[in-house]
Amino acid sequence: MRERHGDCKMKKIYIQEEYCIGCRLCEIYCQVKHSKSKKIIKAFKEEMIDILPRVLVEEIGYNSFAIQCRHCSDAPCVEACISGAMQKNKNTGVVTCDEDKCVGCWSCIMVCPYGVIRRNLSGKKIASKCDLCIDEEIPVCVQNCPNEALKFMDKDAKEKNPVGTKTGRKNEK
Amino acid sequence: MALELKQSEFEIERDKNKCISCEVCVRQCSNDVHEYDSDQDTLYSDNSKCVGCRRCETLCPTGALKIRNREDQFKTNYNWTSSHLSNIYRQADSGGVLLTGMGSDRAHTVYWDHILFNAAQVTNPSIDPLREPMEIRTFIGRKPERLDFEINRNKDSKESLKDTNIKLKTKVPPQLDLSTPIMFSAMSYGSVSLNVCKSLAAAASEFGTYYNTGEGGLHKDLYGYAKNTIVQVASGRYGVDVDYLNKGAAVEIKIGQGAKPGIGGHLPGEKVTGDISNTRMIPEGTDAISPAPHHDIYSIEDLAQLIYALKEATNWLKPVGVKVSAVHNIAPIASGIVRAGADFVTIDGLRGGTGAAPQIIRDNVGIPIELAIASVDERLREEGIRYRSSIIAAGSIRSSADVIKAIALGADAVYIGTAALVAIGCHLCQKCYTGKCNWGIATQDPYLTKRLNPEIGTRKLLNLLRGWSLEIKEMLGGAGINAIESLKSNREHLRGINLNDRELAVLGIKHAGEAW
Amino acid sequence: MKSKNDNRKNNKMFKDNETIDYLIIGNSAAGLAAAESIRELDKSGEIMILTGENYLNYSKPMITYFLSGTVNLDMIHFKDDKFYKDNRLDVRLNTRVKSIDTDKMFLITDDGNRYEFRKLLIASGGRPIVPKIKAIGTKSSGFIDGTNYDKTEGIFTLTNLEDAVRVKNYIEKNGIKNISILGGGLIGLKAAEAFLEKGIDVNIIELADRILAATFDREASGIIEKKLKSTGSNIYMNNTIEEIHIGSGKITGYKLKDGEKMECRLLVIAVGVNPDTGFISSGSLDMARGIIVDDHMRTSAKNIYAAGDVVEGPDMISGGKRNIAIWPLAVRQGTAAGLNMAGGNKKYGGGFFMNSVELLGIPSISMGITNVAEEKEGFEVLKYLNTNQDMYRKVIIKNNRIIGVILVNNIERAGIYSGLIRNEIDISSVKENISREDFGIIHLPADYKKHLVVGEGIEV
Repeated sequence: MRERHGDCKMKKIYIQEEYCIGCRLCEIYCQVKHSKSKKIIKAFKEEMIDILPRVLVEEIGYNSFAIQCRHCSDAPCVEACISGAMQKNKNTGVVTCDEDKCVGCWSCIMVCPYGVIRRNLSGKKIASKCDLCIDEEIPVCVQNCPNEALKFMDKDAKEKNPVGTKTGRKNEK
Repeated sequence: MALELKQSEFEIERDKNKCISCEVCVRQCSNDVHEYDSDQDTLYSDNSKCVGCRRCETLCPTGALKIRNREDQFKTNYNWTSSHLSNIYRQADSGGVLLTGMGSDRAHTVYWDHILFNAAQVTNPSIDPLREPMEIRTFIGRKPERLDFEINRNKDSKESLKDTNIKLKTKVPPQLDLSTPIMFSAMSYGSVSLNVCKSLAAAASEFGTYYNTGEGGLHKDLYGYAKNTIVQVASGRYGVDVDYLNKGAAVEIKIGQGAKPGIGGHLPGEKVTGDISNTRMIPEGTDAISPAPHHDIYSIEDLAQLIYALKEATNWLKPVGVKVSAVHNIAPIASGIVRAGADFVTIDGLRGGTGAAPQIIRDNVGIPIELAIASVDERLREEGIRYRSSIIAAGSIRSSADVIKAIALGADAVYIGTAALVAIGCHLCQKCYTGKCNWGIATQDPYLTKRLNPEIGTRKLLNLLRGWSLEIKEMLGGAGINAIESLKSNREHLRGINLNDRELAVLGIKHAGEAW
Repeated sequence: MKSKNDNRKNNKMFKDNETIDYLIIGNSAAGLAAAESIRELDKSGEIMILTGENYLNYSKPMITYFLSGTVNLDMIHFKDDKFYKDNRLDVRLNTRVKSIDTDKMFLITDDGNRYEFRKLLIASGGRPIVPKIKAIGTKSSGFIDGTNYDKTEGIFTLTNLEDAVRVKNYIEKNGIKNISILGGGLIGLKAAEAFLEKGIDVNIIELADRILAATFDREASGIIEKKLKSTGSNIYMNNTIEEIHIGSGKITGYKLKDGEKMECRLLVIAVGVNPDTGFISSGSLDMARGIIVDDHMRTSAKNIYAAGDVVEGPDMISGGKRNIAIWPLAVRQGTAAGLNMAGGNKKYGGGFFMNSVELLGIPSISMGITNVAEEKEGFEVLKYLNTNQDMYRKVIIKNNRIIGVILVNNIERAGIYSGLIRNEIDISSVKENISREDFGIIHLPADYKKHLVVGEGIEV
């Protein structure tokens, strides 16, 4: 059942908590990516009122990490969506919110265990979440993470190159 | 409180048209230079706190920040330079020894930049290293004086070598096998973060060369790289026990360091926490003091005792070497070390780096590595004992050209420290001793050490080794040489420029334009 | 919507004996989730869906959005035509089930047709409750109840799209400027919000001493009440309608329990919903308020499954069985039922009550058990109340596990709580942070945090 959406081959964003430096460049570039002009200075100086970052940096002391939609295969937000706006694309595996269909009932916010869906109240009330920058080869948060605390890879690559474990032990025999 | 007379060394320019108040600079500066004022939605920067590390400038997503050196700190004076004035002001405030980090930034002659390498033309052909074999592998360790072979010739076929069985009879002492003549110099866990150690260890291991633990002991996370580890034994003997010695591929006794010849070290107790205390095998919170001398070494004979004790402890399976600073009498000192039984001698020059050293020592004590290597190689040859030890040159090797020149002057291999740290982010702000390294290198603050992802560090170091090795091959090929061993001490491939006769004589090279 | 009755002749999916592989009663969340899951495992079996409704597809929770005008009839669907086509679903509209023979495995519809099935899913949802109220001015019984309320013009329930369309038309046709709503629960208040958005005044009559009594506690109800009153709405608490006044077949007013007489041209009855089980003869299936199912969504009868608002399924918090009529659980139950019907083995895993509702611009979310007598044995209540901003956060803990949450106004990251409830995470180590406004994953117990950030949480 698990592989029904081909999720094994799907590239996802993996988090290397121990290397998140809390700079929040991921948030900044996410906002730029979802701005109208897609130009950083213009976006921030003129368009920013409307734009929520879809990746969220959590930070206490030196502990920090950036988290965005995990694009779960049994996505609870898709299950809970009353309008059919939240859909998991069967080909790409990406969970997206169709902003035209969304009615802002916040059922998705209620069920997402990662808490990575936010209310965007700037126009029509809609749920705002990571779309995995589907038109980019690599999501902008990953592209612009200066310390590779975010990695974009499929499950095979992840298994070969486990994240979240201490590097430097692989040669130990 | 009296006014501090010191001026800011740097000036921070913030382009308001580009600044988007994203606060990346605020979050990245461990010196609290930048501050966001929410009332005015503006960022302010305090020049006086800036150390010039350029972390903010590098991470600023809009290029709004420029850190400029302030040339006009004081009225121009070629004798009383800004640096002299600042130092006096600082000392007048503190009354202490001025500390600094990294290698000397004074305008000492850099002999590398006065030495030019040769190339082959007509009389001997150059070699294309991409199409023809090119060997840059080298071995560190004592070489046998001569080789004896056992030859069993098949009686029936007297002519053919095919039927001859040749066996090496001489027992070759233990060697380090380097795939490139570049190793990472001693940087202790404590002076640099564990992530730096991991990067160095992993890169050395993957490339087939060696890194050096420094005197901080060996963290258990690095045990996996044992085959590529040189373990150091310094005057404090921190972290040294028989397991530690046997974890390494070689042992290096540290007598001195180029940045601070004759000076010990002092890691304050507050920095001796958890992992560091375990690794150094000392109680948490105690000062880790490395005495200036080894208190059991007051002569060459004492050194010999330690060398042989270490060889004994490691079952004669590992090369044991000695590291000294390049000082005035380096040639006879090296000779003594070789005679004391060292398998390799590491010589660290005047411009060598450090995590913390008195500035006055760093900038004024010792001699440049180029001169030291040349005179040591010369002396050992004269005495007929050059084969007994390998020579490792250290102390500001900045490029593959410096490597190849060091080898042509007589080194077997080089250590790189500063260059390696620069590869993983060091911007030479020289504030290592503050423990607030914004690049996550010379710090143990977990907020800062996170900034060096060892995966990236390893990749960058590997790239550096790869790049330099390719360049070395290109230069060798250009000179018509197909093995690095053939370049060793081959000073005919070097020429000096803008050097006087004395300097040329010490370096043992001709001036540019002089031919056979 | 086009009739599907001609499909049968040409439909190659059907075998000669006319026994349907998968018959589904109900065309909403649970029924369609089941159909989709069946199709995943069984590419060829025929799937037929029976529904009493007249629309091919619409989202029931969205009918108040339709009333307020947020969505129109074109946008109210949650599955499009392509979904039905891709999954080859044969939908029979206006087809209400009359009775089921659970032994012989067939059912009869209101129009007299007989459908034999191999597997049956009952996902018939709920029916509005209409209390028996004395009626003055009616020609017949003298009472209004569930059987006859729709005979009187101006009295409506509001649980399906047809209701909403009728209410909307009635408002427009009669220029209604004031609506009374019997019931201060979720449906009543969602309707109230829709009307208020259209500029219509509302009177809310609630039997309890506060609105949203079932899902909110006193503080949370208070915040919404305050806001409602600020819009000029009247709320009559501890009250109910004692008699309804009818003239010329239309409602003209009513008298409250406290004696007050009100004029009224449109009354919405929103006192609650019961599982729609009218077509199940007693004794044929194990029932309580709804159809009792096990963790595989099986009823007591072989080959008959049930899912959605009609069932009493496993409740994670009480450990017993409970009718929890909410959308996400209907989908989850439907998915499990569908997979099991098609030969899979999928556990539903239980659920718990939760609801998200935005009333008058105040978003709120409640989960699990929200009303406990404070500090009663075993319960621990952590609260955060910011009266200036009407911000309220309450977490109810038992045995170091969260069992209930109320969030008003700040609902950011609410799902983290539902994850903690679902996974029964011991939160004793993070109690001091749990009700804070910026509560996040970083505050969670280390293991669970690791699980979410780098661990299996991310696995597919």
